[in-house]
Amino acid sequence: MKILIIEDEITLNQSMVEFLSAAGYLCESVFSYKAALEKIDYYSYDCIVLDIMLPGGSGLDLLNYLKLDKKTDGVIIISARGTLEDKIEGLQLGADDYLIKPFHIAELSVRIAAIIRRKNFNGQSVVSAGDIQIDTVSKSVIICSKTVELTQKEFQLLLFLVINKNRVLSKNTIAEHLWGDSMDFPDNYDFIYSHIKNLRKKIVATGGEDCIKSIYGEGYKMQLL
Amino acid sequence: MKLFDKYNRVNLTSTIITFVVGSIAFYFVLDYVLTSQLDRGLLVEQSEIVDFVKEHKEVPEPLTTKHQWTEYILINKPIALPKATTTEAFNKLENEIQHVRQLVFTIAAGGRLYRVIINQSKTETEDLLQMIILVIILMIALILLSNYLINRKLVTVLWKPFYTTIGTIKDYRLAEKKALQLPREKLDEIDLLNTSLNSMTERIHQDYHALKMFTENASHEMQTPLAVIHSKVESLLQLSQGQEAMVHQLMTIEDATLKLSRLHQSLLLLAKLENRQFELIEPVNLTSILQSKLEERELIIKAKELKVAVILEEVHLHFHQHLAEIMINNLLNNVIRYTPLHGSVGIYLTVNELSIKNYSINGALDKQKLFQRFYKEEQSAESTGLGLAIVNEICTLAGFSIEYSFISQEHVFMIYFNTQPA
Repeated sequence: MKILIIEDEITLNQSMVEFLSAAGYLCESVFSYKAALEKIDYYSYDCIVLDIMLPGGSGLDLLNYLKLDKKTDGVIIISARGTLEDKIEGLQLGADDYLIKPFHIAELSVRIAAIIRRKNFNGQSVVSAGDIQIDTVSKSVIICSKTVELTQKEFQLLLFLVINKNRVLSKNTIAEHLWGDSMDFPDNYDFIYSHIKNLRKKIVATGGEDCIKSIYGEGYKMQLL
Repeated sequence: MKLFDKYNRVNLTSTIITFVVGSIAFYFVLDYVLTSQLDRGLLVEQSEIVDFVKEHKEVPEPLTTKHQWTEYILINKPIALPKATTTEAFNKLENEIQHVRQLVFTIAAGGRLYRVIINQSKTETEDLLQMIILVIILMIALILLSNYLINRKLVTVLWKPFYTTIGTIKDYRLAEKKALQLPREKLDEIDLLNTSLNSMTERIHQDYHALKMFTENASHEMQTPLAVIHSKVESLLQLSQGQEAMVHQLMTIEDATLKLSRLHQSLLLLAKLENRQFELIEPVNLTSILQSKLEERELIIKAKELKVAVILEEVHLHFHQHLAEIMINNLLNNVIRYTPLHGSVGIYLTVNELSIKNYSINGALDKQKLFQRFYKEEQSAESTGLGLAIVNEICTLAGFSIEYSFISQEHVFMIYFNTQPA
């Protein structure tokens, strides 16, 4: 899976490369409009992570160029511009997703995975890790050949953990993935904990390995070898 | 008071005063002129009598006409200097007492001394004076009336472009993409006003857009470093296995960056609300928004074991979908955050109002400060202190009124829509 990361902030670009490489993607990074134009002209990618404000031009122009050229690369915009109008503009130009800075890289990772799944429709809709198999189209989960009934939120949570397997995900990251950032969470009661607890119970009851680990109550991790 | 009324009042008063003073002066001048004319006639008559006496050594026959009559009276000694006076005398021919101009002098004829009285009737001059005064009064009335009518018509026509300009300014919003463009006018004053306003708003418009761009860019530029911090925290988190203290510290940093980023978004939103950068024209189903926002929070509500009473009527408003969601989000967030465990919450929506109540162990909030930015009743790490300020701004923008009260140990927020349902 090839990913092009177009982001002029070098450290942020590197962080994304590190994270996504660890998740098994092949990453290339460019830092300017011109370099990005060359790359997308010569190569094609499964997904392009696109910043809008770039030295030398606008990311939206790159997006336009891609669509005029009838390229099928998936595009996810990462932008500091968070208004509804900006989002709508980006999506109307043909971006597959829009993420507002600052974002959780784990969130970026699941969104990229979702875009790639959508692009490669031929039987790629199943995500698996260890003894867990998740069909993202039929929204069903099979653990040790047995179907597990999960609520919608539990399904989202499991998919999120599986795609970001072997990585520590903070409670903030999980909460924002499941509920967005419009909601705030009372810190005196950890209801993500109860969610995780339910999910673990269901996995263990089906006979799966109890692979979700708590990290000092601050985050969770799906540990798989 | 309108400029026209003010102008009219001053104009009318000064015109009337001028005419009254002028008329009085005119009356006296005219009276003086006419009287001196009569006096000249009297003097001519006197010299005629004197000439007659010199020639014939006796006084002439007393002359009697309707307007002038003379009397001769024998006297012993001469009277003082001859003098014309205004007095009353009996007119035999008219058989009435009339106002007269009277000249009395003494003359010696044939060894006898006569007192001569020449009476000149003033009736004619008085009639003339009366006619003149009448004509003047009529003219004054006519002038005042025509003045008033002309002014009214003219002023209305003249001020029309002014009112057009005012109307345009009233409807103008800075957030619009174009600067104000008032038309050129034939009248210099209005044209000057229009061109000045055009150039002024042009400048303001440019400044406003520069400032807006600056705010947006500054805010965006800040989001990128935040994203960097955030991503580095996530990276560090992966490396921190087995170091509990470090994980806690990293989470503190993450919380702080998230809070900073939300704070930023809230401030940007407030700025946009103040700049009136939203158009409230979308039909919005408030009921479904409330339902979905409550569903999103179902888990937290369950976790805090809140008793929530919800009564929702079907309400559609001309509003802004995104702003409606923000408003509901902020209100619900507050209610859920500040209601103690097992507390009760009430959410009631009717066509006219939305009321949100929640039980509190603490007393009433400070009504004056409640909707101010960064006001916090209690120091809370999660709260930005902007939630209610944003709700307040959205209400102001939409023409809603929001009220807070504390009734029987419950915080009550009421929002009155004040609008016709869509």
